[in-house]
Amino acid sequence: MEKYSLIGKSVKRIDVTSKATGEAIFSADIKLSRMLVGKILRSPYPHARIIRIDTSEAENISGVRAVVTASDTSGDKWGVFRYTQDQQFLPTDKVRYVGEEVAAVAAVDEDTAIKALKLIRVEYEELPAVFDVESARKPGAPLIHEQYPSNININIKIDVGDIEKGFQESYYVREDTFMAPEDSYFQGEPYAVAAHFDQSGNLEIWMPNAGPHLKAKPLSNVLKIPLNKVRVRKVRIGGAFGGRSEISPADVICALLAKKSQRPVKIVYTREENSIATRQAHSMVATIKTGVDKEGRVLARDITCYMDGGAYSSTGPIAVSVPFLCMEQAYRMDNVRYNGYRIFTNKPVRGMFRTHGRAFACGIDLQLDMIGKELGLDPVQMRLNNVRKTGEYTSTKSYITSCGMTETVLKTTEKAKWNEKWGKLPPYHGIGIGCNSVQTGFPMGIRGGSQAFIKFNEEGGISVITGIVDNGQGNDSMIVQIAAEELGLDLNNVQLITADTEVTPSDPGSYSMCETFIGGNAVRLAARDAKKKLLKIASEALKVNADRLDLRDKKIFVVDNPEQSISMSKVVRMALGRGESISGEGTYWPKVDSRREWVENPSGQLSETFSFGSVVAEVKVDPETGKVDVLEVTAAQDVGYALNPKVIEGQFEGGVAMGGQGGMLSEYVLWYNGRVLNPNQLDYMVPLATDMPKINNIIVETIDPNGPYGAKEAGMSVAMSAAQAYCSAVCNAIGVNIKEFPLTPDKILTAIEEKEKFKQNIK
Amino acid sequence: MDKKTILLKINDEEYSITTCPNRTLLEILRDDLSLTGAKESCGEGACGACTVLLDGLPMRSCLLLVTEAEGKEITTIEGLSGNGKLDPIQDAFIEYHAIQCGFCSPGMILTAYSLLKNNPDPDEEEIRHAISGNICRCTGYAKIVEAIQAISTKGR
Ligand code: FES
Ligand code: FES
Repeated sequence: MEKYSLIGKSVKRIDVTSKATGEAIFSADIKLSRMLVGKILRSPYPHARIIRIDTSEAENISGVRAVVTASDTSGDKWGVFRYTQDQQFLPTDKVRYVGEEVAAVAAVDEDTAIKALKLIRVEYEELPAVFDVESARKPGAPLIHEQYPSNININIKIDVGDIEKGFQESYYVREDTFMAPEDSYFQGEPYAVAAHFDQSGNLEIWMPNAGPHLKAKPLSNVLKIPLNKVRVRKVRIGGAFGGRSEISPADVICALLAKKSQRPVKIVYTREENSIATRQAHSMVATIKTGVDKEGRVLARDITCYMDGGAYSSTGPIAVSVPFLCMEQAYRMDNVRYNGYRIFTNKPVRGMFRTHGRAFACGIDLQLDMIGKELGLDPVQMRLNNVRKTGEYTSTKSYITSCGMTETVLKTTEKAKWNEKWGKLPPYHGIGIGCNSVQTGFPMGIRGGSQAFIKFNEEGGISVITGIVDNGQGNDSMIVQIAAEELGLDLNNVQLITADTEVTPSDPGSYSMCETFIGGNAVRLAARDAKKKLLKIASEALKVNADRLDLRDKKIFVVDNPEQSISMSKVVRMALGRGESISGEGTYWPKVDSRREWVENPSGQLSETFSFGSVVAEVKVDPETGKVDVLEVTAAQDVGYALNPKVIEGQFEGGVAMGGQGGMLSEYVLWYNGRVLNPNQLDYMVPLATDMPKINNIIVETIDPNGPYGAKEAGMSVAMSAAQAYCSAVCNAIGVNIKEFPLTPDKILTAIEEKEKFKQNIK
Repeated sequence: MDKKTILLKINDEEYSITTCPNRTLLEILRDDLSLTGAKESCGEGACGACTVLLDGLPMRSCLLLVTEAEGKEITTIEGLSGNGKLDPIQDAFIEYHAIQCGFCSPGMILTAYSLLKNNPDPDEEEIRHAISGNICRCTGYAKIVEAIQAISTKGR
């Protein structure tokens, strides 16, 4: 008999039929009776004092049911951390970026709401503004928040080993600075939120969210209503990619409008609003100094990063840490110093992103290539000499329980025929490799663990109740697969109740890649708890010791005599008749060091386990146009164990599209004085079907000792390393190292031109 | 603006609606008729999330005034399946894991459906070209292409 009946198989996802037929309901699809349309008035200035807001004219037009401004709020400032409380969701004193929320209207239809917005008179006093990290840090620069001198929002300092000694002992040292502007999540679904208060003061609210519990608590704090009265409901989510985990001003505003109008209200963002007024990714300048021995082993690294955080803290401390943490997981760095700064500017707020910190990550890999060139070592050897291995500790003291990094390097390069190609490709053809690693969760205070419940119906079918969220990646299906496997059921014997703060227990949300590892483990434990109870009753009925029993195909049977069995439904009915509990309960709390803190104490077990990935890309550059043609991409990740291989492949492929194809070749935000010039789909270049290369997927399994069935995380390491591989490949193709990303045709042409000029001068 | 009564034929059902003629077909489908399968992702004709079929051809309903759809056979994603049965293209999208978040899926599936009606045997390049106006942020398109290939005549 096979070990598992459902796990490890590419079963059809349980949520996709409704998505194929149009039945699936996303936030913008929600309709409640008497529902109003909400619209937000936004700041036209990057930095300005609000002198007064007059809403009287807007309130007087027919069809307007509510207008809200800061005077409808408590005025409290909110932040993800105690020490980052700096954002009001409708500001009282000043606006800090173009697009910041200033007031909002709920009206019977969109035209009326827009008309009313135009009648709100806001008097501003413009203030000098700053738009880049360098000017923001200069003495005398306008202060965006009084409490943050020099506009320094966060400074993460990590200093491990002895870098001075490391550099002294180095055979070769080099320093380079890498840069990348902001990029955008560009989720398929623009943000939308629907809210409604009932007569008892319960708030019911729907929005795309990566964690309903992460949304409910701040909503309760900001709106000053008890947490049990905030019901964040489940709804289908059109992508998150690291965004949508924090409370959004739109959530608060929609709730305020619903409360004031006493009617349900829905706010649907335009594509432009989604690009400007939701969290987006940081820009970054990373200076990396690396010293190596003759074999290219890194002996010391000194890194300074500046990230443009925009106007508020958001998840700043995490955002500044993660780019470094991913790299210290991927590569050994025994002597390392990291100084990460997040600087405030008068630009929209930046948050966590799936392929976070491309300037840094691509810089590390590109620099390894450059160093290798000096030492006569090929990029693969450079990686193999430095990659992380099982049983090691990261620089900041996380133990690595399972690590297939070396295997991903070997397998991708073999599949991509690296040895036949490296150094042997025709001009303007290139090949490159990137490696990365991500966490499966990190210390998140009281929301760091997940709980799950399982209840039975009298036919032996179950309902699984968990806080887990599915942003589109397949988490719902994973949960059903696990519960059905453990209890010997078919997928359609399982009903799923998830992501609803009224019903489902606490869970970190689909954030920091923790759902498989943490949520999956909790559901598995709940199923095992229920199973134990069922077997106990069955053992009485069958007069056989419970440890000789097992469950499969809705039957409990004697392992060494499968003929002797009893149906699950019968056992459930026996339990019901006797008033005995057979419900399952599971809790999983990851083994992380709770004393670890982003700023104060960046040391200790960060995450219980980590995924590791490598990508190899092969490209052809047209020297006339600077256009990059990606010929083939090979992606491998150590996922621990593949619970559903096709779902994982889908994550790899989507990761290559977003991280590599878009992230390294075409995606960036264009600015003019704090204004986003390309917020819409026509101007922000996400990859199309015709852009994508052939992708080879390689799943590497290391069977993590603590993951559910050995599973860890399904594809983020690929998403991140894809950018690095693309970058190395393009630079290899043109024979020039470009340090400013993404590698758009203009940069490529300039680099080629300069190289030619240089060659001529030498002649 | 004066309202106008417009007759629409959607998924073989007749609808008579009285509305301002400056509204888009997408708004009428979603807001007035609760046919929310068609999505709005860009609102400017660039993403294909709002795709519906007009006389069998994929059109961006966010760019069409409702009056332009009068007298045409409109098919939305809700009309593709019937009698408890999915269209083969929907089955293929499910089976080949071509759907992740699903926001692009209605538009993508209708585009693929129309492609196969007009060219039952497209090669990979033709498939990619046909869906290049439908943006998917999740999948990287690989499994979408596979799903369409699988039910082309060659694939079958
Ligand atoms: S919403 Fe119509 S094409 Fe994007
Ligand atoms: S599946 Fe999410 S946009 Fe296509």
